[in-house]
Amino acid sequence: MLELHQISRSFSGTKVLDEVSFAVPRGALTGFVGANGAGKTTTMRIIMGLLTANSGHVSLDGKTLSAPTRPSFGYMPEERGLYPKQPIIDQLIYLGQLHSLSRATARERAMDLLSRFGLEHRAKSKLESLSLGNQQRVQVAAALLHEPDVLVLDEPFSGLDPLAVDAMSSILADYAARGVPVLFSSHQLDLLDTLVDHLVIIQDGKIRANASAEELRAAHTSRYQLSLGADAGWLRTEPGVEVIDLSGSNALVSFATVADSQRVLTHALSRGNVTEFAVHRPALADIYREIIA
Amino acid sequence: MSTQITHPWLIVTLREVETKLRDKAFIISTLITLLLIIGSIAVTGFLATRTTQFSVAATDQTSLSVLNQAASDAEEQLKISVEQLPADDAAAQLDAGQLDATLSQNSANKFTLTGSDEVPAKLQGALSDATEKVLTAQLLTSAGLNADQLPGDNALEISQMHGDAERSSMIQAMAFLFSFLFYMSAIIFGMPIANSVIEEKQNRVVEILASAINLRQLLAGKILGNVILALAQLLLFLTVGLLAAYLSPVQIPFLGVVSQVAGWFVVFFLGGFLVLAGIWATLGALASRTEDLQQSSGPVVGVLMAVLFIGIYAKGGFLVIASYVPIVSSVAMPIRLLGGEVSLVEPITSLAITLATCWFTILFAERIYRRAVMHTGGALTLRKALKLEL
Repeated sequence: MLELHQISRSFSGTKVLDEVSFAVPRGALTGFVGANGAGKTTTMRIIMGLLTANSGHVSLDGKTLSAPTRPSFGYMPEERGLYPKQPIIDQLIYLGQLHSLSRATARERAMDLLSRFGLEHRAKSKLESLSLGNQQRVQVAAALLHEPDVLVLDEPFSGLDPLAVDAMSSILADYAARGVPVLFSSHQLDLLDTLVDHLVIIQDGKIRANASAEELRAAHTSRYQLSLGADAGWLRTEPGVEVIDLSGSNALVSFATVADSQRVLTHALSRGNVTEFAVHRPALADIYREIIA
Repeated sequence: MSTQITHPWLIVTLREVETKLRDKAFIISTLITLLLIIGSIAVTGFLATRTTQFSVAATDQTSLSVLNQAASDAEEQLKISVEQLPADDAAAQLDAGQLDATLSQNSANKFTLTGSDEVPAKLQGALSDATEKVLTAQLLTSAGLNADQLPGDNALEISQMHGDAERSSMIQAMAFLFSFLFYMSAIIFGMPIANSVIEEKQNRVVEILASAINLRQLLAGKILGNVILALAQLLLFLTVGLLAAYLSPVQIPFLGVVSQVAGWFVVFFLGGFLVLAGIWATLGALASRTEDLQQSSGPVVGVLMAVLFIGIYAKGGFLVIASYVPIVSSVAMPIRLLGGEVSLVEPITSLAITLATCWFTILFAERIYRRAVMHTGGALTLRKALKLEL
């Protein structure tokens, strides 16, 4: 498990990270979300040793990471970085070698990853001749080349078409399943719902939420979805009921107590048909909006 | 895969060398320079040994004396074959191309040199001297004097207290060569250090590299790669140049001294280039785009131009001072050594100064590099870069 312990960091007097602590468990995909400037990239750079924390530390399986380099981590920076004017295979081999692979192994792994991404026939092309989505795939290949112990990806989905998003998702899930802690940031909140097992929400340098997706959903399930046979307007005047959304016979409500919910259900049945009376399962995107509001 | 590699700088070095060696423009420019070196030595040799032959006919006795005088005075590479013919025969043979020119006396003091389509300049020069000599001798004889009694061309003898004139011109030629080679290498191999730093900064590859290996190792590898390339190219040029000079049929003077000093030049070149490499790397780290380099590299290119001009023109005290100033000394000290009147202590002291500067420049470069290379946004000034936190 990768853990951050009370990491703080300031840039010329401005506090960018304030006692940030969270864990990236093994065997799960951890999403890291927050508005622009919330501190995601700074946090990831500190995890990678590219920036130093003013206080706090990062540990892997309980051992503090002290060296400035993380050769066993796989990293994909926010602003994509590879050599545009060089053949793809050459730069992948070079990066592999810098991660202690032999030339031959690096070539083998690079070709293997390229073929997984359907890019094996482009191995000798210059990076800049590829479409943005394909460049992104090469970038991911660069992060995975040395079979990293930890994956840290800054916005891996940005700029990808739906098929590429699926491919990327399956690769990340594959790595998580192998027991590799995977942390990735994303602005595409709808992606998170199907993908992440664990969510960390950061706002203005402070962690606002850090829990498994299930825990977060459970904590935000005070709402009920109601579909009645006739107009549901009477709900507005019921005591112990807060109407969040109402259109015709459909309503999204929250009840003050469980007893209130049961009373309203009985009342509704006495007024006519009830086609739906269910706990509303919130999307992580909604939870995120609620938390940072 | 968590084993730390022992020599990541070596991988970076090898990559720098490999990338350059695959660069067609680099290979072609090196080959062209080599051909120019061999060509210029070959042409010099050819011109020095080439003999020119002229057949000239005299149509009267005095003209014959002039031609004989010219033939005996002519320098080694000029052969004049002389014969006397009646004017008509001479004209006919000239027209038929069997003669290069005819010489005839018009009046007591006038001669006419006639060519077919042109009168070769070399022949004109040789004959005008000879005409003067023959006429003067005739006059002197009629006045009862001997030509040997007159003061000749060699009345003024030239001598130098230090060295000699021939050596001076050799030094001048070599000064130009050393200065030019240094200037060229400093640009050809220095600029890429800055550019490759900028490229990695601009594309943010540096974030991936820095998470894998120490930035110090990355910088060291980059500098070393370009030093190896620069040195290899210089050695290639010098070796081919000296070899061509040795093999040349013409005796090239001072070849021994030149070869010895070329060795010193390589050592000084290395020192000067390392100082420059540190500066180039710093400039690269400070820039945020390739365009920034055009502005910030101005002073460095200025210093290099100064090295070029000091190398070519500096003399006396100025050259002595220059031979102790790092970067400039890479050219100035070897030039002084060509003069042969410098004690061994001097180059060693100068080299020590350069190496000390080199040490500081590289340390400083590393300090800036580690701070500035992760910085995004606009170009940095040195002061801002030093204030950046890691």
